Amino acid sequence: MPDFASARAAMRLMAAETRVTCGAVPASLGGIPVGPANSRLSKGEYLLHTDTGYRFHYRKGAGVTVDRPSDPDPAEEALWLNGSVYAAIASINGLMPIHASAVAFGGYVTAFTGPSGAGKSTLVAALGQAGLPLFCDDTLVLDLSDPGRIVCLPGHKRLKLTTEAIGLTGAAREEKVGAMIDKFFARPPAGDVREPLPLARLVFLEDGPEPAVKPVAGAQRLALLNDDHYTAELFALGQGLDLAGRFAALARLARQVAISRLVRPRGPARFAKSTTLAAAVARGA
Amino acid sequence: MNMPVAKATGRFSETVIDEEVVVMSLDSGDFFSLTGTARAIWELIDGTRTCDIIVVELAGRHGVDPKAVAADVAAFLDQLENAGLLATG
Repeated sequence: MPDFASARAAMRLMAAETRVTCGAVPASLGGIPVGPANSRLSKGEYLLHTDTGYRFHYRKGAGVTVDRPSDPDPAEEALWLNGSVYAAIASINGLMPIHASAVAFGGYVTAFTGPSGAGKSTLVAALGQAGLPLFCDDTLVLDLSDPGRIVCLPGHKRLKLTTEAIGLTGAAREEKVGAMIDKFFARPPAGDVREPLPLARLVFLEDGPEPAVKPVAGAQRLALLNDDHYTAELFALGQGLDLAGRFAALARLARQVAISRLVRPRGPARFAKSTTLAAAVARGA
Repeated sequence: MNMPVAKATGRFSETVIDEEVVVMSLDSGDFFSLTGTARAIWELIDGTRTCDIIVVELAGRHGVDPKAVAADVAAFLDQLENAGLLATG
């Protein structure tokens, strides 16, 4: 059994780098002011100012400093720390974040990617009913240090679902995510995986009239990967990659990971069929 | 036609995915997928071969008269040049 020593070291690094202290946060980064609802990543530092008054500052090796508003919301703070801040810290430290939720099967990870609201969390929760344990929800972090394979770090976030999604997926409902957030934490039916595993395939979720899985080949792989602007650009910024460097990183993903599209109608009527298709993909069928 | 054809080194990145050569222009960010004959022509462009030599080698590979492919090769090289993927001058 491979021990994925590099990915385990990356997990320890992320645990150390995401430590949080409260304190004063700069108003600018590299001389450029960062106002409300704005962020900036530059030379090993990340500064985020939310529209609700939170300010987060990360500096490589120094962890995260939070400056809270006068009426702090711990649930909101956790969402920022586990979301944008976490992805930025990963990018600065050479780990590629992908906007994806994932399950594990046979020692490999299958990740489902798509924009917010594409149904990633609902789908991976439902795959638990098919016996596929959750690997991560919403953000998948990749360790690229081994040129021969891409290794995924297990998820750092709890699964979050709407009431409707909990009903569809059979996940066990836990506490509400936050007073202002209409989602609940949920326990996936088949549990979750806490060990690093290699990435086998990436599935892009798309809306369409009939559930179907469509393989993606060649240049189309790169085009799809390139469309995930947020994480691709964050990683490029974090690593100081120019266009050629960004192309090389995406090209590696495109070469080493099987890519397909899962087209399906939204809503409960065809959910079971699209979940069955997704399960077959995750099992390598 | 008798000048060697050269790629615009430093102005593109390329990779092979499946059977496709995927080239990205670093000027525009546009992707180009080269398969089959297009890939063969791209791989024959090495800075020493002229368009005529590329035509002859390509025709030889396919067992056809060079005249049958000359116009298509010239047109494809024009496309590559217009995309900024060939060195000019």
